[in-house]
Amino acid sequence: MHFSLFVAAVLLANDAEFFETSVRPVLAKNCSACHNATRLGGLAITSRESLLKGGNTGPAIVPGDPEKSLLMQAVTHTHARLRMPPTAKLAAPEIDALSRWVRAGAPWPVSAPPASTDHAFWSFQPVSKPGIPEAADARWAGSAIDRLLHAKHRSEKVTPVRRAAKHVLIRRATMDVTGLPPTPEEVKAFEDDPSPGAFAKVVDRLLASPRYGERWGRYWLDMARYADGALGASSDTPFANAYRYRDWVIQSLNEDLPYDTFVKAQIAADRLPGSKHLAALGFQALGGNAGDQLDVTTRTFLGLTVACAQCHDHKYDPIPTSDYYSLLGIFRSSPKHEFPLAPEDTVKAYKAHQQKIEDAKFELDFFVKTRSAELSEFLAAKTARYLRAAKLVLEQGKSVDEAARQAALDPEVLGRWVAYLPQKDKDHDFLDLKGGIDEFQSFVTDLFRRRRDMEERNYVKLGGIKGIRDERTRQYTNLESLPIIEYYLWRDLASDPYRKDFFDFKGGIYYYGEKDIDRWLSPEWKDHLDRLRADLKSLKDSLPAQYPFIHTLREAEAPKNARIAIRGDEQNLGEEAPRRFLRALSKGEPAPYTSGSGRLELAEAIASADNPLTARVVVNRLWLGHFGYGLVRSPSNFGRLGERPTHPELLDYLAWRLVDSGWSLKGLHREMMLSEAYALASDLDQANYAKDPENKLLWRANIVQRLDAEALRDSMLAVSGTLDVSAGGPPKPFEDGFRRRAVYGYIGRTKPDPMLTLFDFPNPNNTSELRTVTTGPLQRLFFMNNSFVAEQAAALAARLNSQNVSAEDRIETAYRLLFSRPPKPAEVQLGLDFLNKTGSWPQYAQVLLSSTEFSSIP
Amino acid sequence: MNRRDALKLMGNGFGLLGLGATAHASKQTHHAAKAKRVIFLFLNGGMSQVDTFDPKPALEKWHGQPMPGPKIKTDRASGELMKSPFQFHPRGKSGLMVSEIFPKTGALIDDICVIRSMYSDNGNHGPSLLMMNTGHGLPGRPSLGSWLTYGLGTENRNLPGFVALCPGFPVLGPQLWDSGFLPKIHQGTYLNNGEQEPDKIIRNIRNARLSPADQERQLTLLDKLNHSYLEDLGPQPELESNIAAMEVAFRMQTEAPEIFDITKEPEAVRARYGTHDFGRGCLMALRLAERGVRMVQVYYGNFQPWDSHDDIRIHSKLAATADGPIAALIEDLKSRGMFEDTLLIIGSEFGRTPMIQNSGLERVGNGRDHNVHGFTTLLAGGGVKGGIAYGATDEFGFKAAEKRCHVHDLHATVMHLMGFDHTRLTYRYSGRDFRLTDVHGNVVNEILA
Repeated sequence: MHFSLFVAAVLLANDAEFFETSVRPVLAKNCSACHNATRLGGLAITSRESLLKGGNTGPAIVPGDPEKSLLMQAVTHTHARLRMPPTAKLAAPEIDALSRWVRAGAPWPVSAPPASTDHAFWSFQPVSKPGIPEAADARWAGSAIDRLLHAKHRSEKVTPVRRAAKHVLIRRATMDVTGLPPTPEEVKAFEDDPSPGAFAKVVDRLLASPRYGERWGRYWLDMARYADGALGASSDTPFANAYRYRDWVIQSLNEDLPYDTFVKAQIAADRLPGSKHLAALGFQALGGNAGDQLDVTTRTFLGLTVACAQCHDHKYDPIPTSDYYSLLGIFRSSPKHEFPLAPEDTVKAYKAHQQKIEDAKFELDFFVKTRSAELSEFLAAKTARYLRAAKLVLEQGKSVDEAARQAALDPEVLGRWVAYLPQKDKDHDFLDLKGGIDEFQSFVTDLFRRRRDMEERNYVKLGGIKGIRDERTRQYTNLESLPIIEYYLWRDLASDPYRKDFFDFKGGIYYYGEKDIDRWLSPEWKDHLDRLRADLKSLKDSLPAQYPFIHTLREAEAPKNARIAIRGDEQNLGEEAPRRFLRALSKGEPAPYTSGSGRLELAEAIASADNPLTARVVVNRLWLGHFGYGLVRSPSNFGRLGERPTHPELLDYLAWRLVDSGWSLKGLHREMMLSEAYALASDLDQANYAKDPENKLLWRANIVQRLDAEALRDSMLAVSGTLDVSAGGPPKPFEDGFRRRAVYGYIGRTKPDPMLTLFDFPNPNNTSELRTVTTGPLQRLFFMNNSFVAEQAAALAARLNSQNVSAEDRIETAYRLLFSRPPKPAEVQLGLDFLNKTGSWPQYAQVLLSSTEFSSIP
Repeated sequence: MNRRDALKLMGNGFGLLGLGATAHASKQTHHAAKAKRVIFLFLNGGMSQVDTFDPKPALEKWHGQPMPGPKIKTDRASGELMKSPFQFHPRGKSGLMVSEIFPKTGALIDDICVIRSMYSDNGNHGPSLLMMNTGHGLPGRPSLGSWLTYGLGTENRNLPGFVALCPGFPVLGPQLWDSGFLPKIHQGTYLNNGEQEPDKIIRNIRNARLSPADQERQLTLLDKLNHSYLEDLGPQPELESNIAAMEVAFRMQTEAPEIFDITKEPEAVRARYGTHDFGRGCLMALRLAERGVRMVQVYYGNFQPWDSHDDIRIHSKLAATADGPIAALIEDLKSRGMFEDTLLIIGSEFGRTPMIQNSGLERVGNGRDHNVHGFTTLLAGGGVKGGIAYGATDEFGFKAAEKRCHVHDLHATVMHLMGFDHTRLTYRYSGRDFRLTDVHGNVVNEILA
């Protein structure tokens, strides 16, 4: 013992190396998924001390004595009960390394403490209002934002460039806030207004426009992985009511709903007073399962990748696995719910009506199937006679009708035999008729009888009609089937038509179904069938359109904690994780939630002024929208692997300001846009560039290289005068004639609109934190050849030509509409030359719409 | 600002903005690459291993009996073991056993590496398709082809670097060739090779209204206006890639339709690929690879044709349209001198059970269910040993037993052949470094030539 302590204290260099190369990897790979801060079985394998302390069964190691060490007994499978790891025994060299290490006294080199205990990381620190430096320069004295930015300009010795021209500034602001270019009248009014408050007037007008919510709401929908259909379906499954969430987001932003309420509603609107915000739960309910909801919720609101802790303690952030399951229990206790927007009676009546249709359909199918089976047995009993008659036709050239009449057979059935017999690619050889026709007849009769008996046994196995109607029961019931060769014969004689697995079967010789069985039925049966058909039709015709509803969550009747899935394996469950908040964001050990699922408590913990992440994360998203990059350039990851803030004081100031202003997002937009920084030109200054090529210090404006998909499309419609700005309501597909804003178009999950996709519209199956911007030849082909562009060009040309003015003036109008500025004389001349050569205003308009200037903002 | 400054700007976190221009440059690999391009023939739906390239004589003996040993979960009710309805024969000098339904591919088995010990994680089509294509069972990660064009760029500035061909759509559609968080320029360009006309295959490739002369006049004006705009702005490298793209687009209009016009191939060549969509797709893949496209993926058909739940004998009808084109593609890669540096991957998202599927969902009762526990993938060409079988499934062909090869291992190996250490080709997104193989994957050294 003394010896081992000595070793532990005075670790030799080669011991450390042995530990790092041969022991730590074995422990990390095989043990630490469970024996971490989560402490399965009470044991943590995180330090020598934790092993000495041991778990529920006592100390894990006896330094110097592998045989007496529980750890070694467990891994060598010599312990009576403990066998570790639970999945598979360690390889011999691994066991040997552990044994040598324990014998050497289990020395554990001191290294940095694991990340999971580190709460000192910047983003977990409380937000505090920073001191605002004194202004050194009148230009940068106007606001706290400017003073904070400029202090850094000065300390890092960069010189901000000039202010942008007025027409650039109003175009930038209008595009930022509304996703549309300013009208020439709006530009002129701003240019003609010399007052110091001119730009503030513009900003206030823009923020009051309903177009603001359509623009910024769409970015929120990116994060909410919003689409108008079911997530994870293999083909598009439209949700007719999904748009209610989209409209709620747009409306809430337009009304400047305080951000804390905005957050709470999207987590627990069903638990807030009143039902005003119920549609907000589309954030959760339009998503996937509880795991997906947890992931998207924590990334969007907290900027944390909690889902990384599903299988192991978060490798970088202080989020132990058990925290993941604490949250998972909350979401699992909150099933999806369709909240009806109709009286209870209507809902009940609708569901009952649907059930009646299903019942009627089943009754009809069952009746036809039974009659069809009887008929095929009846016909099968005449197989020998049909075969003989068919031979007369095939071998002696008799007509089918003649042969049928002579033998008193059905001509249609005989015709089917005559068509079938010569086919060469049969899947069986029974029709070689090796034993003669009569023997074949008895074989067929017997086959049909065996098949019927088998179906009766299968009927019992499935549990009768109830089982047959339940897809799950059918999936998991082992049924009998005929030997395959006999099946093929039966199929060719009697099966109904089917298409399956790339195989298209047209129907058996003796098969008559719903479409053509009538003529075989007795008058009573025929009457019955007609009545069933009429019943089904009248039920279908009288089904009203489904009542509207909202996609929401509700509280489970019996909320319960999730159990920790060891290494993420749901087959291997460990201890329960109490439903409660993340430890890293709690003061001390978080108290278990007691109110239902705990969702409301979770929502309040996230939307709290004390939460260090919530306000920082959202103000950073606004900054990203206005300045091109966030102050933290990984907007959905404020953890250790995310980026560090370029201006931590500014970020804290903005977060403090948001809370202080009663969580008003519009207030923050306004403050950012009225800063001097927002008004900078995008000039590339060489000296600044040499010091800060990424413009992290904001010495110039970041160029908008290419408008995003929706702004590009909507702007084309706007300048050509064809945009329909009606707001809200069910989505419409993006096809010819859809001229509303893109945010109101149908967003499919599996086959997104090709134009949106071409311009980097995000994959709606994922939460998306920012838009990527690509350019490429397929985009240019779109501008050159797509009919949408040609149509807008034609509309723009017609708009220009509707004025009875000179070509020069029309060109000027075009420039003011598209680029918010008058053309330079050389540009007018280029236009005139082109028009002289081609005489085509639409071709000219198409060039202007395709120009880099139209789709970028300097 | 000089050119070096411009490059520095692009390389320094203005990345998203600069990539449009840089994606087209050929880039450095980590080590010398064995293959320059990949053609992935995807038999979507799930090719059965025990009926094609992994013969199991034990199934003859055990036919109709329950599989001994512990019950391992499959997707639906599975019944007794079922022998293959097809005969296997030793083929080539290597004598590897190949099913009679792949006669022409069998004749070339000495060029093919048969990985018999593949396995994956989830027995449903969606997650397994995503795993095979993106290395992750949920949507949103970049696909193999996106990683390759991200790492390597493209060799032909007039064409996209990654093309996915399918008549119709496989299950999950565009998610399978999505670039995830990689810049969208790396997204697979999907083309519907079920269409016959080149104009219908590539959207917007032709102008219905304007003559080439009209268009050239337009582009000349556009170029002048763009330059005038940029001159006023001063140096703005982010905006210049747009102009380069315009020139490529103009050239593409003449080059691309020609590639997809397979009537340009001699009749004798076309005959070997047949008239089925998959054969036409293989021939288009050859023509795209010839012109420097980095990765071409050819899906066998709409939805999931190889999903033979109902009747495994349908595999013979499927193979009849796949076998000839596969063999023709290998032969033509060889005759055109491309076999050595083209990696051909042939396989499915998973395999099928050796047991019969006779759940009440099926009507024939002669099919096989999904099986992620063991399946077969074929590799051929650049840097891979031919005429070998790597790994093995258990006695019945159910579970990968020897030298198990997860999809991550396959991806690691493909990356290795293309010149990359799969642990080092990473992309930082949402604050962490992502890679195709996530935190998994080992290169299968034994199959490297």
